[in-house]
Amino acid sequence: MKEKAHDNYNPEGYVRPEDSAYSKSQNRVAATLFILLSLLVFLPILLVFIVSVSSQDSVTAAGYSFFPRELSLDAYRYIFRSGGYMARAFFNSVFITICGTSLGLFLMCPLAYAISREEFHFRKPLLIFLMIPMIFSGGLVASYMVNTQILHLKNDYFALILPGLCSTWYIMILRNYFKSSVPEALIESAKLDGGRHIQIFRLIVLPIAKPVVMTVAVFQMFAYWNSWYPSLLYLDSNHTELYPLQYVLVNMEKSIEAITKNAQYLSGMTGYTPPSVTIRMAMVVVVILPVMILFPFFRRFLKTGMTVGAVKE
Amino acid sequence: MKREVTKRVKITAKGSKNRKETRELTLMSLPAIIWYGLFCYLPLFGIFFAFKHFTPRPGESLFKNLFINSPWAGLSNFSFLLRSSDMPGIIFNTLFYNIIFLAAGIVIPVFLAIFLVELHGKHLSGLVQMVTVLPYFLSYVIVGYCVYGFLATDEGQINHLLKMFGSNAIQWYQSPGYWRFILIITEIWKSTGYSMVIFLCAITAIDRTLYESAMLDGARFMERVRHITIPLLRPTISTIFILRIGSILSSDFGLFYQVPLDSNSLQSVTQTLDVYVYKALMQQANFSYSAAASFLQSVVGCILLVGANLIIKRIDEDSSLG
Repeated sequence: MKEKAHDNYNPEGYVRPEDSAYSKSQNRVAATLFILLSLLVFLPILLVFIVSVSSQDSVTAAGYSFFPRELSLDAYRYIFRSGGYMARAFFNSVFITICGTSLGLFLMCPLAYAISREEFHFRKPLLIFLMIPMIFSGGLVASYMVNTQILHLKNDYFALILPGLCSTWYIMILRNYFKSSVPEALIESAKLDGGRHIQIFRLIVLPIAKPVVMTVAVFQMFAYWNSWYPSLLYLDSNHTELYPLQYVLVNMEKSIEAITKNAQYLSGMTGYTPPSVTIRMAMVVVVILPVMILFPFFRRFLKTGMTVGAVKE
Repeated sequence: MKREVTKRVKITAKGSKNRKETRELTLMSLPAIIWYGLFCYLPLFGIFFAFKHFTPRPGESLFKNLFINSPWAGLSNFSFLLRSSDMPGIIFNTLFYNIIFLAAGIVIPVFLAIFLVELHGKHLSGLVQMVTVLPYFLSYVIVGYCVYGFLATDEGQINHLLKMFGSNAIQWYQSPGYWRFILIITEIWKSTGYSMVIFLCAITAIDRTLYESAMLDGARFMERVRHITIPLLRPTISTIFILRIGSILSSDFGLFYQVPLDSNSLQSVTQTLDVYVYKALMQQANFSYSAAASFLQSVVGCILLVGANLIIKRIDEDSSLG
């Protein structure tokens, strides 16, 4: 019975046409409805894209419209002309994402391996140690005070990277995979050959567990790319050089001001009014675009991550 | 085979080897343990903030300020907090949105997944999944601007449509009346795709022969959904239900702070406990109230999580979280 269920299981989330409850014509209706639904979901994002390439005049006349009267790349030109401001923010975002993801994996993977080993003496206490923060936390005040006053995380990259490094949820996903997908015999024989755990982990477990490590990496990447709450807490307004893109968007009005000043200074055109209504959306596109471009490539890993734990054995 | 190997290891394993292994494994987990110590366990003492009148003296350490310089407050922080005039509204908002998100976050994705799974052709299904899940991976800052594109007073798409049809423009960010609806739509837009994929996966894991035999018995589509799909989805649904119940007093800060662009006139319908916790800390520097509010969230969440799990365990052993 269970075997059979596994046979039919397909991770793609579809059934063969001959198994489907839809007849051909019903399928056509359902397909149309789902395409419409997808379009509807995509519309708000599309609107942002279209506005970012509309001209300022067109937006003043017709508002943020799906059908601009005139296209223009002014907003992007302006952002690039602003010199360091957006480039710096982009660099900050990339830097934080890369550091946070790799450091996080560096901390989580070895721990996950350790608690996946039956022979590890402290396995059970460690599991409880990891579970408690999932249920109970000291709250925002406590973590804010500890981070700023004891660990002195304020106005630097560490403040944006360190607090989000580990997650018990990801550690459990990694551990479960190490436990179920790496053949025990392989590890045991490596141990008999005198391999140490760190070597076994690096040379045997990690290569086999690449899919799940990638899954966690992708989720971490999105989390860091999208993070702005730490910036809101730990960055003061006079440290704009540390702002990641997301936080530049949170402070949109100030950012537009900074960009216009820079652009005017650099180009010497003091009288020129910036396309401030379209700049807004162009800056949003700068943040969304990397996500959209990478999304199809990461799809497989995202799906694994999303459905882990959804199907109960 | 497996048992043989482990047996042999057990026999050859000596105390010293075991100790060496434990040392290696401990060393491997040490960096993460230190991280947990600093960022999860060290702040746990912060629970005391909720029971103290925090009166820091400049230049002294946090611990001295909290434990020695600040007098005990007993439960007075909680009683003041709960008696403050905007607290009933804040708690109502938090519960209101969470209950609606809970219901909508299960009913809509399950409904969509049931119909999506029957779709012929995996490419179309894959495309629908990819597009609908995309908003989940955008931050609330981005979501806020997507909403802004529609609602901006001067340039917003909706006001332009209104003007085109001869109605007056609406100052969306000044009109609290619409925002319950707007926030609910936004949340559904952002998270439905993600939950749908989860349920889709659970449905495809269902043994297809069950449907075939039901079909032979003459069961129609909706009957099969009612008697096979829904009952077999119960474990997945209740897992999600229990986890959501555990965070019933928590809400996504971004949705309630960034999507309304922190507009003051919308506060009556957008302020939830998380926004209060943030504002009490960062804008009013009211450490004790902020801590008391977090403490309430934690405790109520913990009790509800355990309680819901116990009740569901009573009803259906398989559906609980172990």
